[in-house]
Amino acid sequence: MKLKHSLARVGLRLPLALGFLALLLCFGAPALPASAQSAAFVRVIHASPDVGAADVFVDGAKLLSSFQFGSVTGYVQVPPGPHTVQIALVGKGINAAVISQTLAVSAGVAYTVAAVGTNATGLSLQAFVDNNLLAAGMAKVRVYHLSPGLGDVSVSDGNGMVFSGLSYPQASDYASIAAGSYTFDVTATQPSTTLPLSETLQANTVTSVFAVGLFNGIPKMQLVSAQVNGTPGLPQTGSNPYAQPTNSQPLFPWPLSVLALMVIGAGVTSVGADIARKIARVRSHT
Amino acid sequence: MLRVVKLLCCLLAVIGAIALSGYRSLFTSQMAQPHASASMVTHEATRIPTRLLIPSIEVNAVVEPVGVLPNNDLATPTGSPWDDVGWYKSGPAPGERGSAVIDGHLDRPGGYSAVFWHLRSVHVGDKVMVIAAQGKTVLFRVTRIVLYPPQDAPLQEIFGNADGIHLNLITCAGDWVPSQSQTTLRLVVYTSLA
Repeated sequence: MKLKHSLARVGLRLPLALGFLALLLCFGAPALPASAQSAAFVRVIHASPDVGAADVFVDGAKLLSSFQFGSVTGYVQVPPGPHTVQIALVGKGINAAVISQTLAVSAGVAYTVAAVGTNATGLSLQAFVDNNLLAAGMAKVRVYHLSPGLGDVSVSDGNGMVFSGLSYPQASDYASIAAGSYTFDVTATQPSTTLPLSETLQANTVTSVFAVGLFNGIPKMQLVSAQVNGTPGLPQTGSNPYAQPTNSQPLFPWPLSVLALMVIGAGVTSVGADIARKIARVRSHT
Repeated sequence: MLRVVKLLCCLLAVIGAIALSGYRSLFTSQMAQPHASASMVTHEATRIPTRLLIPSIEVNAVVEPVGVLPNNDLATPTGSPWDDVGWYKSGPAPGERGSAVIDGHLDRPGGYSAVFWHLRSVHVGDKVMVIAAQGKTVLFRVTRIVLYPPQDAPLQEIFGNADGIHLNLITCAGDWVPSQSQTTLRLVVYTSLA
C-alpha cells in the first residue's frame, strides 16, 4: 500500500518534471560563438606605366604571375592585418622587387590596391576602400584617377556631369544612376583631353572606371572598367513576438502542447485513478 | 477496470493536446507544395534551386527566388513567407562559382516558429542539399556558424566571395527591438560544396 502510494506520487510528478524539461530544452538555446574575424577582400590593378608585366607577391608568396599593365583582378580573400606586398618585373624574383610596401587590411572590408607611379615620381601601392553595397534597382559607378601627369578630371555620362575635380591618385565617390548603356567621357583641362568609354551598366552592380596610362607616353592613356555584383544588406528575417498571430499557425506552440499533454495526462490519470479506487472500495464493501 | 480508466484518460489527454497544437502545422512541412512556375529553359531548370534540405534539423523547404528591397536589403519569401526560403536570384545559383545565398524567417508574428527556427542548432559538417527543378542535387557541408549585428556584417564575405563554391544561409537571432522593428543579430551559416 505504501509502495503503491509512492508510485502514485511519482506518477504525478514525473510527467510534470518531463514537461518542464521539454520546455527548458526548447527555449534554452546553446551559446553560439561571437562574431568571428572575417577576411578582407582585395583586388589589384596595375596602373604603373614604368613597370611592365609583373609578378605580385603577398607575404613572400606569389599571388599573381605576369600581371599586365591595365589589368584588374577579381577580389581575393586576405586575412585581416598587415601584409607585405611586393611587385617585381616578371621572372626577376621577389628580391628584385621595384615596389615593396606594408598594407594593413581590416576584417570584412573590400579594397582596390593600385600599383601606381613613374620612376621619376616614385612607384607605390595606393589602397582604396571600396563600397560594394548595391543601390536597389540602380547601377553604382566610381572613377579612379590613376594617370600620372594628368590634372584634375571631370566625368560625364552623356546626360550630365557625374564627377568633377577628381585629382591624381584619387577615387571619386560612388554615383547611383539608372541601369542602361552609357558613353562616359573623362575630361582633363591640363593637358586638354577627353577619353570616352562605352559601358552597359546592369542594375544592382558596381562599376569601376580606371583612368590609367600616360597622356604623353607609353603605355597610352586609356580607360579600363570592372563590374561586380553589388551586395545587398542582410534581410529582415525576424518577426514581432508581441504582434497578433496570423491565421496560418497553431493555437499553441508545440512545446507548450507537450507540457499541456504531460500535465493534463498526469492530472486526469490521477483523478481517474482516484475514481477507480473509490469504485473498487465501494465494490469491496458491498 | 482501473487500468481501463487510466488508459481512457491518457488517450483523452493526447487527443486534446493534438487538437490544441493544431495538427495541420505538424504535417504542413511534409506536404508537397507545388508552386506555379513559368516554363523554364533546360539550363535554367537545372540551376534554379527549388528545394532546400537540412536533414539534421529536419528542414525540407520550397525555395523562392527573391530580389532586393528598395532599402537595399535582401528580400524574404512572399509566397509562403514562414515555410519557404528565399534564394538571392541576382547572385550565383547553388553549385555555381561564388557565394549563393538563401534566407529564411526565424519566427512568425506572435513568436511562433518559422522555417529557420532551428538553424542555430546546426553543426559544422552537417549536410545541406539543394534540389533544382529537374532533380539535380547539390551537396554542401556547414563550415562556419557566425552571429553578426546587421549593420556590422561582412557583406562581401557573405554575398561576394568568389573563392570557391559556397552556399550561405541567413536568418535572424538575438532579441526583438520594437523601436527598430528588427532583431539585434543575424545568424549566418556558411557552407561549402562537399
